[in-house]
Amino acid sequence: MGISTFLGVETALRGILAQQRAIDTAGHNIANASTVGYSRQRADFATTTPMDDTPSGLLGTGVDVVQYQRLRDSFIDIQLRAQTMRKGSAQAQQDGLNQVELSLNEPSDTGVSSLLSKYWASWQSLANAPESLATRQALVQSAASLANGLNTLASQFSTVLAQTTQQQGITLAQVNSIGTQIASLTGAIKSAQLAGAQPNDLLDKRDVLIDQLSELGNVSVSTTAGSPGTLGAIDVSIGGTLLVSDTTASTLALPLASLTSGKLAGLQSVLTTIGTASTGYIGKLNQLAAALAAKTNTQHALGTDLAGATGGAFFTVTAGNEAATIAVAPALLASPSLIAASLNGQAGNSGNALAIADLQGTAVIGGATIDTAYSQLVTQIGSDSQQAQQSLSNASSLVDALTNRRQSVSGVSLDEEMATLVRYQRGFQASARALSAMDEMIDQLVNRTGRVGL
Amino acid sequence: MTDRITQSMLSTTLLGDLQTITDKLTQTRDKLSSGKEIQKPSDNPYGTSRALQLRADLAANKQYQTNVSDASSWQDATDISLGQIGDLSQRARDLLVQGANDTLGASGRASIATEIDQIIESVKSIGNTQYAGRYLFAGSKTTTAPYTPGGADAYLGDTATISREIGQGVQVPLNIDGKSAIGDGTTAGSLLATLRKISTDLKANNSSALQSGDLATLDTALDGLTSTRATVGARTNRLDTALSRLQQIEQTTTGLLSNTEDADMAKTLVDFSQQQAVYQAALKSGAQVIQLSLMDFLR
Repeated sequence: MGISTFLGVETALRGILAQQRAIDTAGHNIANASTVGYSRQRADFATTTPMDDTPSGLLGTGVDVVQYQRLRDSFIDIQLRAQTMRKGSAQAQQDGLNQVELSLNEPSDTGVSSLLSKYWASWQSLANAPESLATRQALVQSAASLANGLNTLASQFSTVLAQTTQQQGITLAQVNSIGTQIASLTGAIKSAQLAGAQPNDLLDKRDVLIDQLSELGNVSVSTTAGSPGTLGAIDVSIGGTLLVSDTTASTLALPLASLTSGKLAGLQSVLTTIGTASTGYIGKLNQLAAALAAKTNTQHALGTDLAGATGGAFFTVTAGNEAATIAVAPALLASPSLIAASLNGQAGNSGNALAIADLQGTAVIGGATIDTAYSQLVTQIGSDSQQAQQSLSNASSLVDALTNRRQSVSGVSLDEEMATLVRYQRGFQASARALSAMDEMIDQLVNRTGRVGL
Repeated sequence: MTDRITQSMLSTTLLGDLQTITDKLTQTRDKLSSGKEIQKPSDNPYGTSRALQLRADLAANKQYQTNVSDASSWQDATDISLGQIGDLSQRARDLLVQGANDTLGASGRASIATEIDQIIESVKSIGNTQYAGRYLFAGSKTTTAPYTPGGADAYLGDTATISREIGQGVQVPLNIDGKSAIGDGTTAGSLLATLRKISTDLKANNSSALQSGDLATLDTALDGLTSTRATVGARTNRLDTALSRLQQIEQTTTGLLSNTEDADMAKTLVDFSQQQAVYQAALKSGAQVIQLSLMDFLR
């Protein structure tokens, strides 16, 4: 079978074109070296179908680009997303707890613990001079400061709760928006693949969205049932709830079925840690305020004031919301002479003031004194916050390490691309040289052959 | 196991490292500028609870010291007053011995009786001594004068004890009530009643009473006064001991608090310069590594 004279031209042209595609790919890689989520691509070459040159054998016909390969390790993606979920959860917890912790302002000379000390000391001072209106006034003031300190703390806890709830809403909106984007990208990916194309850059974009989603909640990705895996149809679930199925996105609402990690889970855990009625920070603060008010009031009612009348309520509280509502009884604020410091009805007796001052050392909340209960609360908040910080830094370093591994596979190395450029540029030049050789050869045949003796 | 190193890995790693070092530097600088090891509870939860406890202890200790000082001043005032009463009673005894002498005659005794009456008034007015606006000898009726100078010898206070707390649950009695120290006109054998009887006996020219019973009764009353003063002295001693113990505890607690809360300046400074050196090294090497690329060498 004869071989066309122009085969060599075609072979050289294929070489030129292939080298050019490779250089274009390198250019694309370099341009996207800093693009988030970009996976480097490689033009994969393969020899074209050879020609039968019997009896010599098969004659090569050059090269072609068979695919633009997207270099990515999906196993690293799974690992990275798992750690991103942990990081998202730890980050949310750390943010919330840090705010709570800062509102405590401990240890300091102005925190509730020092207000408590001042309160007890004021009762002692009153015991030293029960007749004096000045020490009574001072006691009322320090009790009011203490009540105020507890009110402020309770309101700051509530603020953190409100902000966290708001954050939950915003985060859920983000989740739903990402769901919609994933669904529409899947549509584009599927039509590209049906047309036989490999939509590398669309796949990158979708992977970035899934990465973002995994920071918000526990995400699982699976191939849509009944659809061939090659067509890129996927189901994405968050918190155990289906968010995207193939090209259909659902709008999710809280609570999600099984939220175990990610920002949404972190926010939920902050809400629980702070807001739970008996065991949360607010619950414990309420217990403390309730015990302070109840014990002080009970003892106060056993004494008599400067006029010899039995003591009334010292603190007023609203049950169920003690820390936010504790206040010194208005009657006492108006006239401190109503403080019942005496046990025998005489002005100089300060037995009741001493008895109230001694409440400082009395176990009132589950075997703890009021001071101890407060310091336990501070310690708990401190160690919770410390734990959140530690798991955040732990998850962060894992995320960093895995991001590096992903970059090692998918990231663009400029050095590598430079070397590639040099290689394919030389390939291009050589192919062009081959074309010139063919050209000269044909020129020889066409223009100079058969002109003997002219 | 990392085989390919890409530019973005270099820069993210460098950035991450720089951030970690800056974070540490900031923490160390916070420690240096505040002098505190614990900025917030999560820095050291256990240390925080310890610091809170120590701070509360310290505040209570200071209050107890105030209580002790106040109690001591009260004792001093009481002692001075009792001392004056003692001197007056001693003078009354001298007068009694003088008045018991029969050579003196009714008019002589009457003039001594006048002086005894003056002494009684003085004792009563000392019984009304106030300390910081409160009557020292009125029991717990500290706003009522216990005696009526120029009037009846009745005691208007009560015999209740006033106490001060000088430690958790430790109370010391503070006052000497007038009824036990000075007495009143109706309790036979008390100082006031005895003085009044002496005056009456002098005025009545009652030699036998003056010579036999009165002196013995007055001596008994004086003995009682002395033992009361001894009680006050003992209390003062107890308070002094308590104060020095409280001061010692304050010193120890302050030391413990500082150990818990305060930064070790020498160590923190060394940490700071070390971290600064690491930071500079990271910046320098980072700047060079990031700049280099094959492009610099290809022509």
